[in-house]
Amino acid sequence: MEEKKAAKKTVKKSPEEKIREGYISYVLEHGKRPESIFKFVKGLKIKEEDFYDSFNSFENIEKHIWLSIFNDTLEVVKNDSVYDEYSVREKMLAFFYTFIEKLKGHRSYILQTVPKKIRPELTPFYLTEVRKAFKDWVAELLLEGEETEEIENRPIIGKKYDEAIWLQFLFVVGFWIKDDSKGFEKTDAAIEKSVNLAFDLMGRGPLDAIVDFGKFLFQNR
Amino acid sequence: MKEQSRIPTSKVQRAAKFVKTGAKVGGNYVKHYAKKAVNPSLSKDELHADNARDIYNSLSELKGSALKVAQMMSMDKNMLPAAYQDKFSMAQYSAPPLSYPLVVKTFQQYFKKSPNDIFDSFTKSAVNAASIGQVHQASLEGKKYAVKIQYPGVANSVKSDLKLVRPFAVRLMNLNERDLDHYMEEVETKLLEETDYHLEVQRSMEISEACDHIPNLKFPKYYPKYSSDRVITMDWMDGKVLKEFIKTNPDQETRNKVGQAMWDFYDFQIHSLRQVHADPHPGNFIIDQEGNLGVIDFGCVKVIPDQFYEPYFSLIKKDMLTADNELEQRFKELKFIYDDDSEEDKKYFSGVVRELMGLLGRPFHQDVFDFGDDDYFRQIFEMGEVISESKKFRSSEKARGARDGLYINRTYFGLYNILNELEAVVNTTKPEWAERVVA
Repeated sequence: MEEKKAAKKTVKKSPEEKIREGYISYVLEHGKRPESIFKFVKGLKIKEEDFYDSFNSFENIEKHIWLSIFNDTLEVVKNDSVYDEYSVREKMLAFFYTFIEKLKGHRSYILQTVPKKIRPELTPFYLTEVRKAFKDWVAELLLEGEETEEIENRPIIGKKYDEAIWLQFLFVVGFWIKDDSKGFEKTDAAIEKSVNLAFDLMGRGPLDAIVDFGKFLFQNR
Repeated sequence: MKEQSRIPTSKVQRAAKFVKTGAKVGGNYVKHYAKKAVNPSLSKDELHADNARDIYNSLSELKGSALKVAQMMSMDKNMLPAAYQDKFSMAQYSAPPLSYPLVVKTFQQYFKKSPNDIFDSFTKSAVNAASIGQVHQASLEGKKYAVKIQYPGVANSVKSDLKLVRPFAVRLMNLNERDLDHYMEEVETKLLEETDYHLEVQRSMEISEACDHIPNLKFPKYYPKYSSDRVITMDWMDGKVLKEFIKTNPDQETRNKVGQAMWDFYDFQIHSLRQVHADPHPGNFIIDQEGNLGVIDFGCVKVIPDQFYEPYFSLIKKDMLTADNELEQRFKELKFIYDDDSEEDKKYFSGVVRELMGLLGRPFHQDVFDFGDDDYFRQIFEMGEVISESKKFRSSEKARGARDGLYINRTYFGLYNILNELEAVVNTTKPEWAERVVA
């Protein structure tokens, strides 16, 4: 199915896209990564040197497969007519819901190439490109959040928010990979709850009041 | 109705209450391990007793007078199901509202469109919280709709939630596992049914069609096209919920009108349809300006099996309660008493049940009944107190009362309670076979 679709559309596709899709269908059909670039390009009927124009390794392809899913998601989310009306929290939620929807289309591929366990403290190699793009987007959101006062800028930890949100990204993806509920309902719940928690923590809360009060007491001893 | 003033009713209070219980139970564990550090031979019995007490205390405070009496009416140690009921409503109450992106996602998933593509307008935040979901208001071509959306994963959590309460329940009630199953199954099926929105739409349409002829009763129209596993679209009903309606202090005539519609609705469902809207919670009724009663939320519908209907409703006949032989047979069918009970137990339980049924059947023994009669309700509560404190009931090894009774009792209590709040005087119509009782 996947291959058929790819084959039909190849005519107007850029070589990069062709290689990405060829790679995905190879993995799906053979159940493993191609053994060598030589064998892989032969199957795709392109020259090896043309391959190197776009990518230099299989790892590189995998990085870009994820990146393209991410970019697609962001495009869909940003083009939604209600996106501009959303609060930062809702933008984040909308992103995750759409991202998971997009991932669904590639679930077999992902289950094939991604180990069952994602260790959140390490960013896996195939996500390194996504990480950069994601953090750029999050930086925009954080700025907006500070303006709308949804997010409290705190000294030191305030600079680590984007890292924390990245960990959340890994958590959501990891959760989805292991999710066995119908229609991935549990992932929906996980997104809802974790994003709410994150924004409740980043927003002004009792902790700020405690710190503020503590400071006051300390200064007025 | 002094009890009412103490019962926390708002969601926040309920949630807070539950948190408090959680904290107490946590505290009990701390206490237990602290003691254990000093005295390693300490068993967990004390801990469990502590937990049970704290949970019992907060649940009994929470469950509302209606449920409290319902518990006694089913004549057994069924504080348990009531506790379960509340445990769930609380768990759901404390759930934060769904974010709008998730609502959009749910729509996309089932209709491949976002709410704004289907409707002209759609509220971004919920206008109302339903028991396991939330309600948004939408409009299309000048018509208003209510769209109910279920929280994700509710159906999956029912089983695990029930398991969670189970150990507490066993200790609390001194029930054996088999008796517990007796109720668990009933509660579980009903809860699972509530999460099935397809079924709800289907039943709503069936029942509202069948009850169409009852005067002063209104039902919203349902739209299967925009309903799915987790979404229900129906007409928006303008009006006040029951509590607000009562606050406006309507005149007696309107009260009676609403009360009568309520009675007729239940009378028809129970005796003719044999399936009933088993959740007469004040929030499920909306009264419009003309005093018409609107019924929403058919999540909990109980089908009444014949083998329960016959013996149960025969008890509301006044002469029945004086016919000893037949009565004992009926009580056995309803599992109030068992063949292997001692004579003394048989006498005790049937005595209590008889007295109670006489009391509860009273509205049926008259043509017109004034539900505003607080004295009558006080008698019921007193009776409930006597039973819940009775050692015989607490220590009985068997469950008293058939499991089908659980929801029927709950229904009648909800109904009586609402009618009492309405202070309505109602023509207590009854099925033909019971008519002769009056004479």
